[in-house]
Amino acid sequence: MSRAPLLGELAVLDDVGPPRRGRAYPAAGITWALLTPAVLLLGGLLAWPVLRTAQASVTTDGRWVGAEHYRAAFSAPGTGAVVGRTLLWALLVPTVVTVLGYLLAAASRRSQEGWLVRFILVVPTALPLVVTGVTFRLLYDPDPQRGLATLLLARLTGRPPEQVPQLLGPDLVTVAVMSAFVWAWVGLAMLVFRAALDAVPTGLVDAVRAFGGTRRDVLWDAQWRPLLLRTVAVVFALVAVGTSRTFDLILVMTPGSVRDEASVLSLRIWQTSGATTTGEGAALGVIWLVAVTAGMLVVALFVRQAWPPPQQPAGTAVGAPPPRRAVRLLAAGAAVAWLLPLGVLAATSLQNPVRAATGSWWSGSPSLDSYEVVLTSAELWRSLGFTIVLATLVTAAVLGVALLAAYPLAWLTGPAAQATGLVLMAAVVVPVQVIAGPLNEVLGLALSSGTARGAALVHIALGVPFAVLVLRNSFADLPAEQVRGARFGGRHWWGTLRRLARHNRTAVVAVAVLEFVQVWNDLVVGLLFSGPDAAPLGLFLAGQTRGFVAGSGTLAAGCVLASILPVLVFVLARRQVVAGLVAGGVR
Amino acid sequence: MQVAVVWAGGELARFREVVADYPTPVQVIGVGNDIDAFLVARQSAGTTPDVAILPRPGLVVEYARRGWLSEVTPADNYTAPAGMADLLTVDRRRYGVWTKAAYKSLFWHFPSMLDEPPRTWAALVALTRQLGARHRAGAGPAPLAIGAADGWVLTDWFENVLADVAGADLYEGLASGQADWRDPPVGYALDRLAELWSVQGAFPGGGRRALLTQFEESIIQVVHHRDAVMVFEADFVDAVVARFRRGSEPPSTFRFPGARVASQPLIVGGDAAVAFAGSTGGVELVRWLSEAAAFRPWLDAGGYLSPNLAVPLSNYRDPLRRQLADELRAAEKVQFDLSDRLPGTFTGTDGVGIWRIMQDFFMDVTDGVTAREAVRRATGQLAEEARTAGGGR
Repeated sequence: MSRAPLLGELAVLDDVGPPRRGRAYPAAGITWALLTPAVLLLGGLLAWPVLRTAQASVTTDGRWVGAEHYRAAFSAPGTGAVVGRTLLWALLVPTVVTVLGYLLAAASRRSQEGWLVRFILVVPTALPLVVTGVTFRLLYDPDPQRGLATLLLARLTGRPPEQVPQLLGPDLVTVAVMSAFVWAWVGLAMLVFRAALDAVPTGLVDAVRAFGGTRRDVLWDAQWRPLLLRTVAVVFALVAVGTSRTFDLILVMTPGSVRDEASVLSLRIWQTSGATTTGEGAALGVIWLVAVTAGMLVVALFVRQAWPPPQQPAGTAVGAPPPRRAVRLLAAGAAVAWLLPLGVLAATSLQNPVRAATGSWWSGSPSLDSYEVVLTSAELWRSLGFTIVLATLVTAAVLGVALLAAYPLAWLTGPAAQATGLVLMAAVVVPVQVIAGPLNEVLGLALSSGTARGAALVHIALGVPFAVLVLRNSFADLPAEQVRGARFGGRHWWGTLRRLARHNRTAVVAVAVLEFVQVWNDLVVGLLFSGPDAAPLGLFLAGQTRGFVAGSGTLAAGCVLASILPVLVFVLARRQVVAGLVAGGVR
Repeated sequence: MQVAVVWAGGELARFREVVADYPTPVQVIGVGNDIDAFLVARQSAGTTPDVAILPRPGLVVEYARRGWLSEVTPADNYTAPAGMADLLTVDRRRYGVWTKAAYKSLFWHFPSMLDEPPRTWAALVALTRQLGARHRAGAGPAPLAIGAADGWVLTDWFENVLADVAGADLYEGLASGQADWRDPPVGYALDRLAELWSVQGAFPGGGRRALLTQFEESIIQVVHHRDAVMVFEADFVDAVVARFRRGSEPPSTFRFPGARVASQPLIVGGDAAVAFAGSTGGVELVRWLSEAAAFRPWLDAGGYLSPNLAVPLSNYRDPLRRQLADELRAAEKVQFDLSDRLPGTFTGTDGVGIWRIMQDFFMDVTDGVTAREAVRRATGQLAEEARTAGGGR
């Protein structure tokens, strides 16, 4: 068998017909048994709540009311603005992230200090969004004694601080939240673009150059057409779906007085429903669900399985010209700009609590008092311990359930494979705020509503679709001889599955890391479903933003402590993560 | 035995000391501010706690109507101030007792920055104008600090003024959903606020800045930076003062001024204990909590006010609380925090309900919108919100 990367797309030359599928199937009888856990979880904790939400949007206490809730939701003041803002988020922010991600990937690719730039940019990606929110709220504080941005604006415009545009004020708060989001996501976009650029066959670039092609020709014929077009689609969709996470940022960054000016659909639904089901909230939820799913499907059809398998990056091109000075400056500038917020957070955490609330982080002498306060509080330790246990158990459960389900799903071919792919993709993007009420009802039946067990179940249900998607694709992408070997080597289906999983280490690692970091960084599931037994970290930190300025020292210290583990894990496993992300389609 | 409470930190620790004296072991779980969502979820799971401490009487009534609660009888000597006692009853049955009170009609200031506190509303406005003019000339601190980023600070302002200008009947009617928010006294109250809030130079950094200032920060502005002379809020301000005060001078307080020296509004808030249906132990515990002796750990810690008038004045260690407890006794009738009694989302949270409406109003009057127009908008929004929230959740 010979495999040749041809224009970036993998062609398996010894196979005929629908490629790369149909080799790893288990016996028919066992199939359903393997699928049962995933089906139960997805059916009970995703599909049923979605249906129940749809039902709640057209009924009141079981009575049919038609479009009344929809009308009520839309006539409520501000709904138009909220929908508009949500759309703006879904279109503008992914565009900015995609463009910046590409530029930085290109700029940092061949220069020597590129790894440093990439490292700096990747760190924000792994931070909990709660921490990102805290960081930018510190940076944008309206008091020039604390907010560096306000101070700089006052200096630059020469106006007194009271008259400087307020970044957290009603006019700019959305821009402020967006900037925090871009900061957090560009690193991921850059990693994906870098993987794509590395996968571009260098021979192609040389060929274009040999025929007298200009830089533009190289970009167009050797990069954009074969690969980048699809990468852009992947990144754009990835970020667009990610924008539904703005919820965490808005909750942490906006004081109550400007929350409406920053509000998006997820927040509005939470405000009108909380953890229960109301008709109006359900109506908004259904609209959002339809929009997100439709957008997702469009992208999915467009991108469909076009990514080259990530296990064989072509390596850095030899002899390619170093990037131009302007490009390198861009990379350096970005590194500094991306480092600044991290510096603000670290410096604030190194002030004692009173000083952090009353003075500037840049003028006080550092002290470890804030850390001392945080580290001696039983709450933080309880929260940390709980989060570690929760994230580990959820990750293990998701991996288990997803491996079992991915194995039989990988042998599907043709329309059946595409249909499962789309269903899983749709399940990936269901925003949890929309189905919170019905989910609580289901959890109530399992006696786990408002408990840590309930929160763990929700995490597992939310994590499974993506994990199945990634693992299924990577099983299906396995070379024929490995599958054959596994089938002969393993006596039972589980032996085969174990062997197959071993060949798929990249995907398994990607799923595990992403799931772990996701649970660790979560705010919304904890907010909606966790019980009083222990608050997960995200909730613990978000709860402290209530008195933001007064508690900024200890809050910053808590944020730093909460970020260490996810950053470490993510930085170490970034290659696998990128590979997993692109193989699994889009999250 | 399980008790779910709204408290966290020091308050939670205090309450654990309280129930440590109870004959049977009690597990206390701090749920935080969103206790409503928690209890709703627990109810649907069929695992409600025995007892809960609720931050709003509106919730007590709501749960009682749904049949979630047991009727309770307080201890014999338990006496809540008039105006608080009947908030926890539905159809003449009592479903809760008050366990902790907050006194929400206080201004805080340093005597060295303000020697003669204003005793009427007119005097407060005059003082604010005078200090405001001085502040704008760059010759002194602003007269007022206000944490307008937290909607509840603004609703507390509004409630004090409303209790002063409107009769008890209207106040009660607004709380219970019977009265119309377009009634003239609501407008008068808002007019008054507009008169004060629109004074140029009233707040450090102006109105725009005040809207991004949270409660704690507004106190820091007075007791640490001395950027402002006075700050209005509840008795629990002193916890923040203790953390951030600079210098040795202790702050003093004066009561929220009314139209006349003799008539000063008195707004209180409080937390109530309820027992869930089917828990006999819960009913017993609630009764025990209503005994005067159960408040002892709070008194020992200082900084807390009991809603139970049976707690002897001499038991209060800190002089401020003793004085406030005395005022609670002397008051003919106290008014309970109005926003805490409103139904559904009207009760307010960040960006929602009456919190949002008062913040819009604050933004209008500090941004040059005429008082008349701002009041018209606010009353319209209030009436609309009352209409939609009336159906309950």
